[in-house]
Amino acid sequence: MLKVTIDDQMLEVEPGSTVLQAARHLGIEIPTFCYLKRLPPLASCRMCLVEIEGLRRLQPSCATAVTDGMVVRTNTTLIDETRSSMLDMLLANHPLDCPICDKGGECELQDMVMAYGPRRSEFRDPKRVFHSRDIRLSPVIIMNVNRCIQCQRCVRMCEEVVGAVALGTVEKGMDTAVTGFEGSLASCDQCGNCVEVCPVGALMSFPYRYKARPWDLAETDTVCPHCGTGCQLTAGARKGEFMRVRSKQEHGVNRETLCVRGRFGLDFIESRDRIKRPMIRRDGALVPVSWNEAGEYLRRRMSAVENKAAGGLASARLPNEVLYQFQKLMRTVFRTNNIDCSSRWSVPFDTLGPLAAAFHSRAPLDDVIGNDCVLVVGGNVTEENPVTEYLLRDAARRRQTGLLMLSPRPSRLDADARVVVRVPPGGEAASLASMVAGLVAAAGPALPGDVLATIEATIRPMAQAADEGPARVAAALREGRSVAVLVSVDLLRSPGSRATLQQLNNLLQVLRLLGKGLAMQFLFDRANQMGAWDMGVLPGALPGLQAVTDEVARATLAAAWGTEIPSEPGVGLDAMLELCAEGRMGALYIAGTDPLIAYPDRDFVTRALGAADLLIVQDTFLTDTAGMADIVLPASGYGEESGTFTNNEGRIQKVRKFREPAFEARGNLSIFDFVAALRSRALQPSTQNEIFDEIARLVPAYRGLRQDALGADGTFTTAVPTSPTGEFVAPPPAPTATDALMLITGNGLFHNGYLTERSDILNTVANDPYVMMSAPDAARLGLSDGDQVVVRSAGGELTAQLKVDRQFPNGLVFVPENYRALRLNSLMRRGEYPCPVEVQGVHRTLEVERTSRVWRGV
Amino acid sequence: MTMREKIEEAAARYPDQRSAIMPALLIAQRQHGYLPGPVLEEVADILGVERIWVYELATFYTLFHTEPVGMFHLQLCDNVSCMLRRSEDLLRHLEEVLGIRKGETTPDRLFTLSTVECLGACEMAPVMQVGDAYHGDLDIARIDALLDRLRAEAGHPAAAAAPPGE
Amino acid sequence: MFEPVLLKNVDVQDGHLLSAYEAGGGYQALAKVLRQDTPDEVIDLVKQSNLRGRGGAGFPTGMKWSFVPKRVDRPKYLCCNADEGEPGTFKDRIIMERDPHQLIEGLAVSAYAIGAETAYVYIRGEYVTAIRRLEQAIAEASAKGYLGTRILGSDFNFTVHIHRGAGAYICGEETAMLESLEGKRAQPRLKPPFPAVAGLYASPTVINNVETLVCVPHIVTRGADWFRGIGPDRSPGPKLYCLSGQVRKPGLYELPMGIPLRELVEEHAGGALPGRKIKAVIPGGVSAPVIPEHGLEVGMDFDSLAAAGSMLGSAGVIVIDDATCMVKVATRIIEFFHHESCGKCTPCREGLNWVVKVLRRIEAGEGAPGDLEQLDRLCKGIFGNTFCALGDGAAMGLQAALAHFREEFAAHIEERRCPFH
Ligand SMILES: Cc1cc2nc3c(=O)[nH]c(=O)nc-3n(C[C@H](O)[C@H](O)[C@H](O)COP(=O)(O)O)c2cc1C
Ligand code: SF4
Ligand code: FES
Repeated sequence: MLKVTIDDQMLEVEPGSTVLQAARHLGIEIPTFCYLKRLPPLASCRMCLVEIEGLRRLQPSCATAVTDGMVVRTNTTLIDETRSSMLDMLLANHPLDCPICDKGGECELQDMVMAYGPRRSEFRDPKRVFHSRDIRLSPVIIMNVNRCIQCQRCVRMCEEVVGAVALGTVEKGMDTAVTGFEGSLASCDQCGNCVEVCPVGALMSFPYRYKARPWDLAETDTVCPHCGTGCQLTAGARKGEFMRVRSKQEHGVNRETLCVRGRFGLDFIESRDRIKRPMIRRDGALVPVSWNEAGEYLRRRMSAVENKAAGGLASARLPNEVLYQFQKLMRTVFRTNNIDCSSRWSVPFDTLGPLAAAFHSRAPLDDVIGNDCVLVVGGNVTEENPVTEYLLRDAARRRQTGLLMLSPRPSRLDADARVVVRVPPGGEAASLASMVAGLVAAAGPALPGDVLATIEATIRPMAQAADEGPARVAAALREGRSVAVLVSVDLLRSPGSRATLQQLNNLLQVLRLLGKGLAMQFLFDRANQMGAWDMGVLPGALPGLQAVTDEVARATLAAAWGTEIPSEPGVGLDAMLELCAEGRMGALYIAGTDPLIAYPDRDFVTRALGAADLLIVQDTFLTDTAGMADIVLPASGYGEESGTFTNNEGRIQKVRKFREPAFEARGNLSIFDFVAALRSRALQPSTQNEIFDEIARLVPAYRGLRQDALGADGTFTTAVPTSPTGEFVAPPPAPTATDALMLITGNGLFHNGYLTERSDILNTVANDPYVMMSAPDAARLGLSDGDQVVVRSAGGELTAQLKVDRQFPNGLVFVPENYRALRLNSLMRRGEYPCPVEVQGVHRTLEVERTSRVWRGV
Repeated sequence: MTMREKIEEAAARYPDQRSAIMPALLIAQRQHGYLPGPVLEEVADILGVERIWVYELATFYTLFHTEPVGMFHLQLCDNVSCMLRRSEDLLRHLEEVLGIRKGETTPDRLFTLSTVECLGACEMAPVMQVGDAYHGDLDIARIDALLDRLRAEAGHPAAAAAPPGE
Repeated sequence: MFEPVLLKNVDVQDGHLLSAYEAGGGYQALAKVLRQDTPDEVIDLVKQSNLRGRGGAGFPTGMKWSFVPKRVDRPKYLCCNADEGEPGTFKDRIIMERDPHQLIEGLAVSAYAIGAETAYVYIRGEYVTAIRRLEQAIAEASAKGYLGTRILGSDFNFTVHIHRGAGAYICGEETAMLESLEGKRAQPRLKPPFPAVAGLYASPTVINNVETLVCVPHIVTRGADWFRGIGPDRSPGPKLYCLSGQVRKPGLYELPMGIPLRELVEEHAGGALPGRKIKAVIPGGVSAPVIPEHGLEVGMDFDSLAAAGSMLGSAGVIVIDDATCMVKVATRIIEFFHHESCGKCTPCREGLNWVVKVLRRIEAGEGAPGDLEQLDRLCKGIFGNTFCALGDGAAMGLQAALAHFREEFAAHIEERRCPFH
């Protein structure tokens, strides 16, 4: 520890601490502009200069490390003069157009001048003017360079945290300006983190521009509805109308960052296809009716199917309380365990349950990835969980965390990874098995004999010894003292997902036996997927991920609910649709999700939904699925209902209402009450607060939580880990290489589900639907970047623009899901993933010869 | 050698491709005369570096031009040592005979006139750089003679084919 | 009588060719150290010579070299600062154009001393002839085995690359040069870490000026005592002085360190132009504060000039005579710094812009009462608070001009015109 004295106060600090950190610790304020906690110091603004005894010049406290015995002054006349002088110089060329600046009222420059600035300036000469009209860098980012104070926070944020390297700095000296390539940010991530960190009104959000004054906004802290990272954000509304999103500087997993979906994708709540009133099917068409009429209709239709099977599908974006109540409704009123929470895949709960129970860690991501090795399995974390990716990048760059990436899809994070293993889709299991084999080969003697023997017998023979990637991963894992494994749920698309989970289980067991500090979390692409599982929106699991077949668990819940719970495990979405298609499904209740666009084989889903006796859809928006319903119940949307989400880390956070339900929509909970009442039942308790308390009583990981104690950072749910299965399962053979192109899908950066597609802003920034392919494949097919291409499978075809990607592996074709118009799921077949396709050019776009655009001299 | 080959050869001198952006831009400028967007993209592509990095450098350094320049770029030093030797008079004279202001290019695209910071040849102040060559100890008569020579060179077919600026 | 060593090849016919260099005893120093000295012995020798960096700051070269860690698992680099952007300076250009092998030998000996196998010579882009000559010399030296692997039969391998600048004065600042070499905008870096520990590509790196490096072979062949015997003991050696401006014989002069400025200007460079009187001299490039005529007795070495409130800098001696307006000179100098400010830090970027506007107004006869105080205040706000020494140099120079020639500034404001017109 080092001793430092600042303004006569003494403090001991860790070596490496800066004077600024020490001062802040003592509560001594030092003004800063260029300093940003999560970035290395730049020391360019010179606001934070302090006097250090023994040094002739003032020193930037943000970048000066404390030395033992250092004596610092921050409160002398010289410092006062210097601060005021820096501000005076910054103001000299600043336009001082505060009355029309979006930032007015929440501008760091304004605040700083109030606190430290000159009261008058001598500057009388004409100011520098870069431009008279703001520059539209992208659909969502607009720049006023005249106001820029060159703190470079935006540029550093873009490069070092987001990794996009889209913003840069051009010219030099007084002409220095922040901008994108050739003055455009058209092809950046549009995350707006640059806007967020801009201390002045230089970088601004275009959608929010001139919309409101900050002091007119009612701001509500809540959680992003888009992916499972669970970023905290603040929604600003004026007179009940949604205006903008800002991130909260200090709180949540994300701190001051968000991704494009969180920052710009909340306007979906204003989407035009809101369901305004209840609707029932009459003469083949959906017609709006009153809630009463809808109730009558539903009562009638429900009693007609009382003796047939029922099923329920709910969105993993609904709050815990809603999901909990949904499964209770299904289990106790509809008397079925046929419940699911994904419209895209089925979860092999028999494998997932034990894996999660044994290894899943509910802990801050920041701690988890502070481990010396992080293995990311599946998906594309850059596009699925952007903010998680920022943290991973930071760990790799600044904390020397070794990133090990295993996935069919390349991602931007690969560039910061220590090892990247590219596998064919479905080949994850084989690759994981090779890692296990590699670990065992090297560290075998450290394992108990019987385990070693089992592994030698089951896994070793199947592992591909020649695989260099897995071998390098195994070597890194063996060296690491602690290992975190992050598992993308994208893996669940594959029919081989069970095998993958088994091999993960094998790997985690071996790592545990080798004494590694171990953590495992999922990378969910839906905001409350963790909550949906926890709440038991699964055919095989009750709340708390307890198996339906677990007598004790069932009895406890049944006693608390005062009613029976069916003891047979239910079936997941696929089998439910099968039941429908076979004419055996009575009521299918779908809340907040759209299987018709998401589930593979659109024809099949159409047939199935059409064949259900009674299709009930409760949703905020008129989805394709709602279009097929017998009855549509308008539900309040995000921001219109309070509750909690449980994010990927197992952190439970409050989702707060910031406006009233639009039109005749009702809260999801009250709709469940409404439906239960039609069957003369009451779901007790029925308010969000009471349901939370019941969850905190009955769901083990949530035991003892109090809603009023969730705090600004949320609270961690806690699971008691059970011991691993002790079984080691042999992997399936690696998929055999074929010549056919294989279609895979997944989230894109701008769209991850049907909410984002209803955001006008995201639609303006998202690239048009595209087909991604490797350069060699494109060349082989005589295609080039930007061509219109047809992707054709046995099931159907789609047309989109080709995007040739240097990193993309050969043999694969990627088309992002969630472009409704593409009907991607019509190409796919149930139970098959990836999907063999052919790709052909439609017609050549006019080719502009590159060099002809280039001036060649006189 | 193609531009790509030249750039790759230059890049081999450095352990990091990013270092080669400056030499690559010099090569590209020699080839194309100036550095418009597509050329910057091509450079980024060849080196496999971020486009914005290339753009940053193309605008930071004064020897890179993102706008076209005339065949002969007259770069007159007007820093102190040359100023003390009356480079201002030469500038005024050049503006007069060429009919353009500093920073401009003659309509026939023959001459671009600029003033530059110290060329590091103050012993022969006032100095002007044209292409690769320094012309020192200038006075009005020498400037006139130089312009005549350049015009003659431009009329010469070999000169017209040469890349401008350098 | 002082015998020039650094410039002895400069006027030789074809002095830039290897044959000429060898004929004058070239590459003997390299042969000598490779034959008989350990790297540490070379560093010690340079320490004993009291050689101080000729790039401007005058930092002791041997000491700088000794900061390089001995054992590291990364390559070490030597960078030669041949950016020579300081107005009034042209010495490095002349050496590289006319005697490039002298630099190559200096590089090789220095690289051997610090354990570097690669050097980058950062030459300003305008120096086309120098670049060609140096390229040619590198080719010749490589062919002859003075560069490459196992040089002269030793274990020493060494390659020299040229990195051509593209027009930015700030690249002369050593950390900005490293940024530029790494392909970034040339803006100075935070120190620590110092380049000797983590410089180019985060590897240990020594940056030296051309003139500093060419002194090294002479120290090797003639000994540290010879070097220390020239000029003041704490700031010794032969020195290149660049004379320009309103002086009869502008040019490059090699003379001892510490020579009185008056002797340099009046005897060696022939004094003022006919009919004029010297008013002031800038002794070390425009970053160095101006010295009025009555101060010309000062010795031209680091310590004496510092004591006199100026600095040796790059030894670009600019002579200003009585027909010249000091406000104009000061304005032009500040315009230079303003143009060359990299833009990183607030006081340099914004402060100089403000200063330029006020100065231009004063020069144009549009000054107002209070302007000079405003300039004083601005200089105070800039000086000492900038990220690198560029801003300091600008502020110091203006402060000196304001101090020594305040009446000229005041006259502009009072008469609302330039008295020299
Ligand atoms: C703004 C600025 C410009 C500089 N320009 C040069 C230059 O052109 N050439 C040079 O050798 N040193 C220049 N320097 C000094 C270098 O930073 C560095 O001190 C020098 O190259 C070290 O070499 P030396 O120890 O051999 O002098 C400059 C410094 C500053 C602050
Ligand atoms: S003083 Fe500041 S702005 Fe000026 S050149 Fe140095 S770092 Fe750049
Ligand atoms: S915060 Fe320290 S210099 Fe900007």
